[in-house]
Amino acid sequence: MSLPKRKQPPLNPFTAFNAGKVNLLSLRNSVPVYTIEAGTEDVMRIEFIFRAGIDKEYIPLLATTTNMMLTEGSLRHTSEEITRLLDYYGVFLNLSAEKDNAGLIAYFLSRHIKKVLELIREILFEPAFPEKELNILMRKRLRWFMINRERVQNIAMEKFFESIFGSGHPYGHMVQESDFEGLHPAVLRDFHSKYYDPSGMTVIVSGRIPMNTANLLRENFGSLRSGNVYTEEFTPELKGEQQKKSRIGKEGAVQSAIRIGSPTINKRHPDYPGLKILNVILGGYFGSRLMRNIREDKGYTYGISSLVTSLDLSGFKVISTEVAKDKTDLAVDEIYREIRLLQEKPVERDELEIVRNYMSGDLLRMFDGPFALAESFKSAWEFGLDNSYYEAFAEKIKTISPDEIRSLANTYYKIDDLYEIIAG
Amino acid sequence: MINFDSFSLENGLRVIVHRDESTPLTAMNILYDVGSRDEDPEMTGLAHLFEHLMFGGTRNIPEYDTPLQLAGGENNAFTNNDITNYYLTVPAENIETGFWLESDRMDELDFSQRNLDIQKSVVTEEFNQRYKNQPYGDSLLLLRPLAFKVHPYRWPTIGLDINHVKNSRLEHIREFFFSHYAPNNAIIAVAGNVTTERIRALSEKWFGPVPRRKTATRNIPAEPTQTSERIMTVERNVPSDAIYKAWHVCPRTADDFYVMDLLSDILAGGESGRLYTKLVRGKNLFSEINAFLTADIDPGLMVVTGKLMEGVRVEDAERSVNDVINELLDKVPDPGEIEKVKNKFESSSVLLNTGILHKAMNLAFCELIGDPALINTEVERYRSTDGEMVMKAARKYLIPENCSTLYYLSSKKEQE
Repeated sequence: MSLPKRKQPPLNPFTAFNAGKVNLLSLRNSVPVYTIEAGTEDVMRIEFIFRAGIDKEYIPLLATTTNMMLTEGSLRHTSEEITRLLDYYGVFLNLSAEKDNAGLIAYFLSRHIKKVLELIREILFEPAFPEKELNILMRKRLRWFMINRERVQNIAMEKFFESIFGSGHPYGHMVQESDFEGLHPAVLRDFHSKYYDPSGMTVIVSGRIPMNTANLLRENFGSLRSGNVYTEEFTPELKGEQQKKSRIGKEGAVQSAIRIGSPTINKRHPDYPGLKILNVILGGYFGSRLMRNIREDKGYTYGISSLVTSLDLSGFKVISTEVAKDKTDLAVDEIYREIRLLQEKPVERDELEIVRNYMSGDLLRMFDGPFALAESFKSAWEFGLDNSYYEAFAEKIKTISPDEIRSLANTYYKIDDLYEIIAG
Repeated sequence: MINFDSFSLENGLRVIVHRDESTPLTAMNILYDVGSRDEDPEMTGLAHLFEHLMFGGTRNIPEYDTPLQLAGGENNAFTNNDITNYYLTVPAENIETGFWLESDRMDELDFSQRNLDIQKSVVTEEFNQRYKNQPYGDSLLLLRPLAFKVHPYRWPTIGLDINHVKNSRLEHIREFFFSHYAPNNAIIAVAGNVTTERIRALSEKWFGPVPRRKTATRNIPAEPTQTSERIMTVERNVPSDAIYKAWHVCPRTADDFYVMDLLSDILAGGESGRLYTKLVRGKNLFSEINAFLTADIDPGLMVVTGKLMEGVRVEDAERSVNDVINELLDKVPDPGEIEKVKNKFESSSVLLNTGILHKAMNLAFCELIGDPALINTEVERYRSTDGEMVMKAARKYLIPENCSTLYYLSSKKEQE
């Protein structure tokens, strides 16, 4: 019944990615606003970023709690009214506090820009931090924490960060049950006044941007004045633990979560693009060595991946998987075997060709549409870079040699430097 | 407004094309009209296992992924109760590679015992990861058979029993393929910087020769009307008690679907939803609470799920949920609240349709349930809903005898 074999269509070279045009406009108080005009629908994404991430916190959970409390009541509206207004104007608002930065992103129909900016101004700069809402939030978060603590993935990941960055640094702080007590509104107000200050704010606007947007931004945010910002120079040390291997038992678990990795260079380092390519070969796409071996050849897992991520003060790489409990040791051995292979044997041309093309296509996906354009720009901007970073990355994808990849594997994946955390 | 063209091939394959000139990529979505509802009750989980096997290569193309990655593309797939959906994005220059790959595996698969054995393990680990090794992971596995006694929605896509997957044999797989994978049982949607003429030519060239097949006749037993409240209680090693409630509702294509969708948003669409406002923010009874429609093609469910705060009694928590539900039966929601959920729907619909992949998926699904133009006209269906209709629907569906409740209790709860 089968059709006669038909010839594979030619593989055509495809256009390089287009990072779009990023314009910069400065408000009177020097707040930088980046705008990216793009898209087919009248929708917008607007992001407000502050250096108010977890690494700034002097009490555990302070950065995330301050951020989550922004919509829990302002000087003008209750928490209930704020969320009702956001929903009424069809706004999807994501608050977030990551390791370095914090802030919010709003997605909405462009025609609501005026109302949305007014609301965001109120949320960011006039929060009331009511005690009742804070207590409810902390009790809720404690429940979420208790539930998350039952997941081997979470147990392993928390322990991984503690191991590679050290418990003395916010990057490595493992949240405890007792952290959920004792956050008072006054502490949040203090953190807010230090880190949610207009002098440390950046705005990224993308989508179909109405003409009056610049004026509305000026009206809402251009006349905000900086407080007398006093930020303590608080620099705990990033110091990985001596103990590289940890096994954490979890009663009743049917799978183990494995995390293997270490601190590494970030986007500012010239080797970073090469390291990202090495990472894709190892575990960064469906055809990666780890996926082929541990899922598609052995069937030990539903998925395995490796990741390289940049942080302001460091970076890290981690291989993550959940495997059948009785296959844990076998999977760990295979992970190290794949790393050694990359250190010993240069990647074959055919495999490298696949990775080059896959990653070039992925660059197109990373800049496809108004939201993706803004996200990619942001992740370069966070490190003091701009979209020329991606130009250099694209060039590296085309030109990296098998020897360079092997050398990177030897420099950055020294087996003795790797931490190995297993929960399950 | 999303413009599209549609046409059919002689072998019954339906194709929809949407042109979006703003992107260098093209998305191709191929929907097969087969889901876990089409499975034999003795052999569940097969539709999903089959989805995994579709990546195992054919006689002509030993590996599906490699040529696509060489073309700069990426792909994935999902299976649910109703459909099996495969999708890829690729630079527009290489869209023909997508046609070559998809037509080849629609024509014939290379069923190998080794591939089957490996994917059985992978699916077993997927089952463990999603359902067994997560707190509350089995809740929907318990709720489904409580709500459905006859209809195949009583089992989840992963299967009623993971042994069904483990025990499946190559002959089942082969039979499944020939009774469900066919051009006359598939819908393709392509979105990107492409013309209808080119997609028509590529469709004829690659899919034209795939023979029409005699596919299985769908013969799904209807779920009898539920006449009394159903309750189930389980104890698990979880930190908090939880409640799951499910009511039978209308099919995806019924007029009431839009009303019920807005109703579920009144309850839990965003933090301003009634359940969150009253029970999380107000009474502080739950740490999280949600309400959603399963949006199945056959009559599905509206589900409310909530995790309790420490020290809250399940009976109190449930009574409060019932109070919020009953208010919908007693009182017409005010126009401002209706307007709010309509606005939120419109906004989410436009936001989602900014991406070509979502547009392609959505067009194919709309064609399956009747008309690709639904992608544009559904907003109007929502817009024309009013408060009276919401109250009427609540009175029709949200009654105790139509409800199944699962109490999911913590076995290690500290003494109160």
